[in-house]
Amino acid sequence: MASKKVITREEWEKKLNDVKIRKDDMNKLVMNFLVTEGYVEAAEKFRMESGTEPDIDLATITDRMAVKKAVQCGNVKDAIEKVNDLNPEILDTNPQLFFHLQQQRFIELIRDGKVEEALEFAQEELAPRGEENQAFLEELEKTVALLAFEDASSCPFGELLHISQRLKTASEVNAAILTSQSHEKDPKLPSLLKMLIWVQNQLDEKATYPRINDLSTAVLEDPTV
Amino acid sequence: MPATKTNNRPEELTERLSSAASGGGGGDGGLLKALREVKNQIIGNRTKKLWYLKLGAVPTIVSILSSAADSDSAVIVQAAAALGSFACGVDAGVRAVLDGGAMPILVRLLSNCDEKVVDACARSLRMVFQSKLAPKYDILEEKNMHFLLSLLNNENDNVTELAASIITHSCETTAEQEALCDNGVLQRLIALLEGSTNQRDAGLDSLAAIMKSNSDVVSKLVTFNNGRALNSIIELVKDRCPRTRLLACICLIFIGNACTDHLKEFDINTELILVLVELFEEPGRAGDEAPYALANLIAGKEDLHKQAFSVNAVEKLCNFLHKKAIEAKRLQGILLALAELCSKLEICRTKSLSLKVLDIVIGALKHDCTEVRIAACTCLRSISRSLKSLSAGHLLNETAATSLIQLLHNQSTEVQVAALGAVCNVVVDFTTRKSVFLRHGGAKELVQLSRSMDSKLRLNAVRALRNLLFLADKIVKENILQELTISTLASLVCDAEASIQEQAMALIRNLVDGSVDCIDHIFAEDGVIITAVARQLWGATVPVCIQGMYVLSNVAAGNDFHKDAVMHHILLPHDTGSDSSILLRFLQNNDGRLRTAAIWCVINLTYPCNCTASERVTRLRTSGVVSQIKSMVNDPCLDVKHRVRTALEQCTVGGINSA
Repeated sequence: MASKKVITREEWEKKLNDVKIRKDDMNKLVMNFLVTEGYVEAAEKFRMESGTEPDIDLATITDRMAVKKAVQCGNVKDAIEKVNDLNPEILDTNPQLFFHLQQQRFIELIRDGKVEEALEFAQEELAPRGEENQAFLEELEKTVALLAFEDASSCPFGELLHISQRLKTASEVNAAILTSQSHEKDPKLPSLLKMLIWVQNQLDEKATYPRINDLSTAVLEDPTV
Repeated sequence: MPATKTNNRPEELTERLSSAASGGGGGDGGLLKALREVKNQIIGNRTKKLWYLKLGAVPTIVSILSSAADSDSAVIVQAAAALGSFACGVDAGVRAVLDGGAMPILVRLLSNCDEKVVDACARSLRMVFQSKLAPKYDILEEKNMHFLLSLLNNENDNVTELAASIITHSCETTAEQEALCDNGVLQRLIALLEGSTNQRDAGLDSLAAIMKSNSDVVSKLVTFNNGRALNSIIELVKDRCPRTRLLACICLIFIGNACTDHLKEFDINTELILVLVELFEEPGRAGDEAPYALANLIAGKEDLHKQAFSVNAVEKLCNFLHKKAIEAKRLQGILLALAELCSKLEICRTKSLSLKVLDIVIGALKHDCTEVRIAACTCLRSISRSLKSLSAGHLLNETAATSLIQLLHNQSTEVQVAALGAVCNVVVDFTTRKSVFLRHGGAKELVQLSRSMDSKLRLNAVRALRNLLFLADKIVKENILQELTISTLASLVCDAEASIQEQAMALIRNLVDGSVDCIDHIFAEDGVIITAVARQLWGATVPVCIQGMYVLSNVAAGNDFHKDAVMHHILLPHDTGSDSSILLRFLQNNDGRLRTAAIWCVINLTYPCNCTASERVTRLRTSGVVSQIKSMVNDPCLDVKHRVRTALEQCTVGGINSA
């Protein structure tokens, strides 16, 4: 511990001030976040205020958000049709995503108590996918287990009925649409924060310095010497 | 509810489409709805695609597309998208779209003024060109080249990507590669590298196609813009998108294969190996294709095998094999990459065996997919190059034997050849394991194939029989010979293909190696085999003669009768009047291996075991052989030099006796 270098707040802040970050780059980061996460109105406003051009047509965000929202609300059939209108290749070349959407559709039928329709759907749409792919078959078996319980939420795979499952499916579609539009599927900002944490951990072994512990405020906290 | 549901059954939808196509009822709104419904049913759904194909929906949709007014964008977009989906992932769908005549209509619509129509048609055409079944686009035709360039220069990304996939699909010959290069396609493709991810990937894919095995195009690219193009490809190896990394690796592999100088300063191979091995983990195409790229990169290069081994490539490949339910394409790639790694280095083989993949590889011999079976044979063949494991009898178990034998009568020649390759190695088994193979009727299958009309099959079957006979015991030899028959063996010695003659000679060499009884076989049926062997020595290629001389050497190790027969054949003067014998000619041959074989024959003939040896020495002396051997004491070939010493010692002792 004694051998660690101590950097005071003054020294640290001076060093930080010496790092020049271009405003343009900051703006691009913000725009990248807004676009990727689908905040279309904010992106539009930000474009007007900062003059930063998004790297994607903002109209496509609206379409993507409509798909995402449809899944989040349980209107999976609607979401599938919207994706197909956007770009038919997405679901044709991405069997895993297609299976997950169909699985979600099946889950929604169970949630609505439409057991007969659910069974028919599983037979006609899901079973052939299971035959094509071993991994799908295993997932399918778990999903169909929901039908075996009077109260589906008490099934060991009851978490499939949670809202979190919808969100998972929605973000998978969102990512696939972004990839099809040559856009990265994750915003850059969170990865930068991850890098910040990693770098601080590395530095901790060599020095004591004012650290950022709360990422939401980004306040520099004095080192405990 | 049930009523609307029945309306959407494929039968009824197809019916509705065809009545709309023939102008009957429904109105345009109904047609649009039906098209969209069909499209939404088939996307991602193989079963439905096949169903609709059976109902003949594709020709109907094509006719709707061709009769739609250019302004009817909505109908065109839905129809084009549906056709594109039929062509995605289902061979029968591609055929239906091609046979239905959709291509020219889709191409015509690329110049439609509605961007959505252009997008839909370009995407559908691209789907077709991504299939192996798509016809090759004749790039060399001038108007086609113009059209292709106009697509490449289009502002619409989907259209430029279509152009790139046409190039990737159709550019095969050197002439095509150069024509594209001369028409400025290279620059245009390089420009795509600056674009979005999709544009970059399309550009890299096409660049690979126009550079493959063409050093001229490669040097054009490498020197382009002071090496900036090369640098951007090298940068893309580190891209965030896995598919881009893979395609950049493939481009660099092609550049390196065409000419290693270009990449010398970059020491790129180490990095490529690392990136490719990492890509194994990726889902989808990047992970599927990475093992093939690795196999291509390291093919035949032992130093790269070592590097790949040092970054745990073997371990990773083996771990994948242990996973359940790997898709055929990926499994095939993994097996081929492992086969390449195990083809040279014993450490790789030992590692694979210690990770217990042998049973999995043997299991893959029975895979549903032909390509996987071939890859499994190749892999087994590489692993069984391990002398250590072979001699320990680790490789040929019951399952392996029965699976391989079954593959020998597969319908595909390619499978048979691959299986023979594996059989060749696994039957060189020093223990009694050969009997496993024989017990399951393996010899019978090999003999069948040695009579095949296909020379590749014949060659590999004879080679496998040769190895099966290697150090085999008397009973095994007799069983195989009975199956093979003396006359077949004699005709194989005189086969039209030199490589088969060589293997047949080597087979006989193994047959007559050992006990005197075995030597007798080639004198059976009026000595038809020994006559054929001797006759071949006069005119065959050097490799055939080498094996032939070893046959005679082995026979010369037999009894007096055998030795006299060999003396007779090798001392016959050439029938064109020259007095030099076949033995003299071989002793004077430029090829050290043939001289070695000839000397061995002399050694066996003059071996001082009984009094008849001296008679033979006398005959060899009078025919000039001994003085020829004396002149060889300083032969540049070490093998020859050593044998000459032994031969001369024996001849001198024999000479004194006879004096």
